[in-house]
Formats: sequence, C-alpha cells, structure tokens
Amino acid sequence: MLYCDTYLQPATLLEALRMLQAAPEGSRIVAGATDLLPWAREGRGGDVRVPQLIDVTRVEGFAGWRREGDRVRLNAGTVYQEFLEDDGLVRLLPNMPHCAAWFADDQIRRQATLIGNIVNASPAGDGFPPVLTLNAEIELARLEGDRVATRTVSVEEFVTGPGRTLMQPGEIATAVTCDAMEGYGGSFQKVGLRRSLVISAVCCAALVKTDASGRVFEDVRLALGGVGPRPVRLRDIEEMLRGREMTPELVAEASILPARHVASRSRVEYRRAVVQGFVEAAIEEALVALGAPRTHATEREAVHA
Amino acid sequence: MPDTLTPPTITPVQLDLTVNGRRQRVQADPGARLLDVLRDQMMLTGTKEGCGAGECGTCSVFVDGKLIKSCLMPAAKAQGVAIETVEGLAGMGDLTPVQKAFHKTGASQCGYCIPGMVMAATAALRDNPAADIEEIKERMGGNICRCTGYSKIFEAVEIARDVIAGRLPDTALDPEAVGNSFIGHNTRRMDAPSKVSGRLQYAGDMVMPGMLHLQVLRSPHAHATIVSIDTSEAEACPGVHCVLTCDDVPGKDGFGVFVHDQPVMARGKVRHVGEAVAAVAADSVRAAREAMALIRVEYEALPGLFDPEDALKPGAPVIHDYAADNVVKHIPVRKGDPDRGFAAADLILEDSFSTQQVEHAYLEPEAGIAYVDPDDVVVVISPSQNITHHRHMLSHIIAKPINKVRFIMSPVGGGFGGKEDMIYQGMLALAAMKTGRPVKLVFTREESFAASAKRHPSRTRYRMGLTKDGRITAIEFEMLSDGGAYGMSSEGVMRKAAILSCGPYEIENLKVDTRVVYTNNTPSGAFRTFGGMQAQFATESMMDMAAERLGMDPFEIRRVNMMRAGSRTHTQQTLTSAAIDRVLDAAEAASRWEAGVPNGRGATRGDLDGPGTRKPCTLGARFRAGGAGMVPTVKETS
Repeated sequence: MLYCDTYLQPATLLEALRMLQAAPEGSRIVAGATDLLPWAREGRGGDVRVPQLIDVTRVEGFAGWRREGDRVRLNAGTVYQEFLEDDGLVRLLPNMPHCAAWFADDQIRRQATLIGNIVNASPAGDGFPPVLTLNAEIELARLEGDRVATRTVSVEEFVTGPGRTLMQPGEIATAVTCDAMEGYGGSFQKVGLRRSLVISAVCCAALVKTDASGRVFEDVRLALGGVGPRPVRLRDIEEMLRGREMTPELVAEASILPARHVASRSRVEYRRAVVQGFVEAAIEEALVALGAPRTHATEREAVHA
Repeated sequence: MPDTLTPPTITPVQLDLTVNGRRQRVQADPGARLLDVLRDQMMLTGTKEGCGAGECGTCSVFVDGKLIKSCLMPAAKAQGVAIETVEGLAGMGDLTPVQKAFHKTGASQCGYCIPGMVMAATAALRDNPAADIEEIKERMGGNICRCTGYSKIFEAVEIARDVIAGRLPDTALDPEAVGNSFIGHNTRRMDAPSKVSGRLQYAGDMVMPGMLHLQVLRSPHAHATIVSIDTSEAEACPGVHCVLTCDDVPGKDGFGVFVHDQPVMARGKVRHVGEAVAAVAADSVRAAREAMALIRVEYEALPGLFDPEDALKPGAPVIHDYAADNVVKHIPVRKGDPDRGFAAADLILEDSFSTQQVEHAYLEPEAGIAYVDPDDVVVVISPSQNITHHRHMLSHIIAKPINKVRFIMSPVGGGFGGKEDMIYQGMLALAAMKTGRPVKLVFTREESFAASAKRHPSRTRYRMGLTKDGRITAIEFEMLSDGGAYGMSSEGVMRKAAILSCGPYEIENLKVDTRVVYTNNTPSGAFRTFGGMQAQFATESMMDMAAERLGMDPFEIRRVNMMRAGSRTHTQQTLTSAAIDRVLDAAEAASRWEAGVPNGRGATRGDLDGPGTRKPCTLGARFRAGGAGMVPTVKETS
C-alpha cells in the first residue's frame, strides 16, 4: 500500500521546485502515477510511506507540445496516447505511434507520460528505442537561488543503468525535445504474449528515409531496448546502411550484427535470436510505412537460407 | 475508512468533483487512489478491484470523458473533474445498448470483469462509433476476462455498435423467442442485468456497521519450524482489536477437501511460502497492516522439498507427520492383462509428458465477511465454491454445533475450482468470535497468487502398444503430481486423472497409476477438468504420434479406438451411450480437416491459415484504417 502524508499540486514550475527543495526525504515527484502505484505493492516496494507526493501534472506549461525549428518540444505532461491521436505528432515523430500502440493499453496511455517513462529508466521501457532514434534530449530544471535554471542532457547519456539516471536531487524533468522527422517511415517491434499490457523482453525502433528513387537508404536510425542495462542506438548498422541500395540481402546482413549488443542478465540467447529478426522487421515495416509492399515471411526465409 | 493510526501530520485532500452528474465533496486520504474513494467513500462498488496494478481493467472509469484505470490514479488528481462510473451509464432500472447487448449475448458469466468491460466497450464506441472488430479488440485490450474467452463480449460490442449506428434495429437487443422450450435456444442469464449495471455486490463490496479489517501475516519460508510468535507489540497498537494465531483455534484444527491436514494458521511449522501465520483485525486496513509488521516470528529453516520426484526418495524430508512417505494419494486402475496386450502389439511407443503449475487468476480476489449474530451463530459470507463442506469443517474447528455455523455464498467472481478450499474463512470466523465485531478480509492479487491452490504440475510416463491397423492393445500410464504443501483436492484430482487417463478410447489392457505427493511448493488443488487436462495432454499427444508412426489419419486412429455404446470404460463401467463419434465428426468438419498422415502431406495445407482460423496477433487497427501512410483516422474528442 501507498501511504502519503501530503499530496501537493503546484501550479507553476517555480512553486514545484520550491516544494521539492523543502520536501522531507523520501518524497517523490509524480505525474501519471502509473509506475508509482504498482510499485507500492507486495513483492516490489511493499507498504511504502512517501511523506509528500508532488504532482506536476497541473504545472503551467507542462501540457502540450510545439515545433521549434527542426526539433519538437514535448512538454512534461505529454502522455503516450497523444502519439497515437495527435495528427501533428504522428507526422513529426513517425515511430512514436507504433511504440504507443504497444505501450500498456489505451487507458494507461492516457495517464502515463513519456517523461515519466524516461525518468523511471526501466531497462524494459518501451519509450527508449524510439526516442533514441529521435536524438531526444531531456530538459531538467532546478532552483538556482530564487530562479529556475535548466540543463539539457541527451536521453542516451541520461540513462546510466536500470533505474539510474543523471538526474540530480532537486531537479524536475520539464520537457523532451526530439528531431522532427517528417517524411521518415517509422516502426516499433516488441516481444509480447498478448496485444496489451505486456512488458517488453526486447523492443526495437526504426526510422527510415529513402532517396527520391526509392531504392537507396538515405537515412536509417535504429535502437534497441530490453537488451541490457541501458537502451542502445545501433550506429554501426545505421552507418552500414546509409547511402546503400536497399536489398533484402543487405538488410539481412545488417540484422545479424546487433546480437552482440545483448548484455542482459537473463535469457541472453533468446534475446540475441529475437534481436536479429527485430532489426530486419523494423526496417521492413518502416519501409512499409513509406508505402513499400510487405515482404512475405517465406521470401524473408529464402534470403536467410 | 476511519484510520486511527493516521499520523497527526497527515493532510486530507478536499475534493470537489462531479460524479455521475452530481456534485460531490469528499475528504480523501492523500495516499488514496481514486478507486478507494469511489468504492469506500461513495459506495460506488460497481467499480471493482481485481489487481490494483493496472493489469485487469475491473476499475475502469471515465474521468473528464476519458477512460482510465482508477487503481492507478491518486484520488487527489480528481480535484474538479467529472467522473462517470458504471452506475452512471444508464438510469436506475435502465440499461444502455452496450449493457443490453452484453445481456443478450451472455457476455457476463462470473460478472466481476463486466462493469469494467462494459466501460471499455462504451469507451471504444464513444471514441469510434464505426470501429471494426479488430479496433474494438485493440481498444478493449486493457480489460481481462477469465470466463468467456471474449467471444461473447466482442459479439455484444458489435451488436451494440450496429444498434447505436442504426444499422440494426433496437429489437436486435431483445431476447430470442424460446417458445415452449429453452433447449436449442439462446436464453439470457437472469443475473446479467445486475452484473452489467455493476449493482451485484461481491463479498469485497459488502460493508457492515462497525466492521473491522483483517490482514494476514504470511510465511516467507517454504519449510521452517516456528520457534516463537510474539504478538505483543501488534496487540498494543491503537486501533487493533485482536491478533490471531493458531492458539486461538478452540476446536479441532484442520481443513481440506479429503484429508484435514491444513491448520487455519500455521501450527508448529510452515510448509509453503505464503502460508498464513498470524492475522490482525483492526479499524482500518492500514492499521492492521502496520500492526502486522510488528509481529515477531522466529523461524528455524527446515530442508525443503521442491520436486515431486525428490519427495519419494528414501530419507526425504517429511512434510506431514501422518504421511512419512510424503504420498498424499495413490490411485491404481487395472484392467485386462497389459503384458499380453504389449506382446500382441506391432508397435510400442514410449514417451513422457509434463505440465506446469497454473493459477486460476479469477478476477475477484478472495474476500469475505464474518460476524457472530445475536443468537451466537457464527456467519461467514464468502465466494466459497463448497459452502456445505466448509460449514461442517468450521464447526469442528471452532467447536460449535453445526446449527451455530452458517455459511452464506456470495457471488463468485470466478472460481474455476480455486475457491473450493477454505483457506481464509476460518481466520475470519475466529476474528469475529474474538472481537464480537463484523470482520472483513479482502486478498490482494499478490496474496491470492501466493496463498490459493494451483493446478497440479504433473509428469506422466506413457507406454502404448498398437497393432498395425491402429488398434491400441495396451497402455501403461504413470502420473506423478506435485500436490504442494497441503492435500486440498489432490485425492479427487488424482482419481479423476486416473479415471480419464486413457481418454475416450476402449483399452482392453491397462495399468494406470496416479500419485500425488507433498512438497513445499504452493498447494495444488481443484482447477477446471480436475486432473483430466494433464492426462489428456499425454493421451492425445500419444494418439497423434501413433498416427504418424502408423501412417494413419489422426481422426481415423481415434475412430478405430473410440468408445461406443456397450464399451467398457477404464474403470469397467459398461456404457449405454457414447458421443465421441459425433464429437470427432463435428471437429473434423469444423476444422476443414484435410485427411491424411500429419507428417506426410507436403508443405501446403488447406486447413491451415484458411477461413475461420485465427490470424497472428498484430496491432495497429487504427493505422490500417488510414491506409499506407499509417495516419490514425480516429481522434479522441475531448
């Protein structure tokens, strides 16, 4: 059970930061609460007493998103369902809707924030592979004297291990910024036993752009989650594919490489096998999103044979 | 709930909100979830708690028009919002088209998931009134049902969608005419309106004036001697009304379906992780839990048994003194002369099969209320699947004549056999007797997993002799099951496994042995098929492998051996009728089976991937509707 003495709902960031500074030890920032409440249960946190919960969902400026040049600024209140339902975000962040479709379920996606998923830093966090391909940065605010100061860290560096990040005491995550990727095809792969409510054993995200001829990879971005303590951007494979002619043989060759990134503590062989298929499928589905025909499984098997 | 242990520093949250169209003001605990406020303070118990972790959807409610899971929402977030619960969907006595469609198709069985399921269906159709079935499935993916297999639920949502859109007349929601006979007609369930409206109260929804809350301290050890239990600190906590241990049992302690080997609370030693050791009744769940944390139990670890094979080895640890060999039950069945049968066989197949432990995962966790009425009758209300037997056992345990023990069966929110065992009703009765107050206990989902019985894990060694034309000449069948720490329904499960062992086939010569042993694993008990499933997995697998080896069609080999009117069963009952021939015909037709040897028909098969077969699960019904650009076509209106 969760025990809390005081539930605070600051209206401004400054107020929130001051509350955090003054909060007794063990207090927590809360947004969607979809990680907090399941944590306060038998077998995980157990019965936990949190002196203060500081709910930032009503902070001014935390709702919504905007385009800033070639970047997209997602304010802290952005929830997963928006990636499915907001036309602008679907266009600009083409792999996020695919990630969102596999993330928990419709109901949880209406409460769960992207930024909470990042700060929580679970090795199985679904949001990591796509945001890594989007060159995402996280904005962190803190008090400096009596004014708000911010710093920005790339999400790739921000996560240092399971549940561990570069976040400092007194900081509040205020936004995630991403590359605007209009014109790219996006995809997301995940191992799951059912459609909804599945925690990833492995997940993979891709963004692909072809040249005008539609036959050459102009740009490819790939990342893996669930394969170790931190999410991994697959720059070596991106490099290998960029500017090359798109052939099933090339994609099959590239898909063999990322198995070596698997550094999980369990089910290593399984994850290595899955990763190989995922990279191939992620690229293929990103191309399908751009209008390419879907390859039949038997054709894919023939290439591998 | 009044909370006597509330620290003075606690700041209640005053919430002004609109619930089902009425403005409400409540003082909420700052740690409470929206679910708690709805259920405990507003008495809107149509919103259920199935897991408390966002996994099941029994608690789905609309907040400002968007469906969310109220177990994942701190109550304080509800400041100023408008909430709609299942009670608010239709007026009193009325049902919405979605609810009527659930009634019509029989979508509600145990009913515990149904209020949430109705909410999810309502949300799906509000968000996209034209959603196709794949999109409906996707949108309702956050809600779990364990009874229906979802078919009737999806059927209901499609009918409701078409009625709402005017594609079907309102009369599509009416019951089918049954004429003079119910047989051969779809008849509506009488209890469905109470379930689709959320009005049916399960044990966990019930409250009584002056009711206390019970919490159970459970063993962290699989096998350990209890050296001492010190409850003094817990007893001294404000708000605590009693602390129970096995010492509070006035009568003959022990329950079980066949052998009464399980104490109400651990006596002398614990035999599995999660076994009840002590319990606290207090003014609130929190007060009970905080006191429970102060109970000191000293354990001395004992060597444990975790594999049923080990339980049979000489010198194995003994789990129950009465059963030095750790065997709960051995059921032998003999018929004919297996040696002669094997000698007559052209082919002898041998193999082994194993099945795993399975949790029932009914959506309603165990719950109950007990009280002592003015005539000193001890009353227990719970979703027990076996109340008469429970009543008899409890009368011995609490040393009262049978007319002073009463069991009331509350609606069972899914049982599947898992609520046949009296694993908590004894504690409730003792707490009510000790405090003189009504006492309620509601398991958490985690507790339900840890303490309730599971499907028996089994290992079966199989030997089957057949003639060239597929006739079975003899079977040797030996099953070893893991009974876990207590006997529960094990004996009956082994009996059923033995009786059904060799399937619906007439076997002239057989030797069947089913055994179940004690281990320190979670106890095994009753679960749908009651031992039949484990046996049939082995038998039917053997039949398929025999068909491959003999070059026969799998249906054909079954027809050669199937029981007919006049056949003698494995336990030598003569049948006056048998239906397996019709079952095989129907299955063959329904599956569009291509006759032939399973392993000799080339790469392509018309009966795989054909019409009516299940396609692989994919997501993105909302994208596909939008074409290749993968732009969602449906947007939420907020």
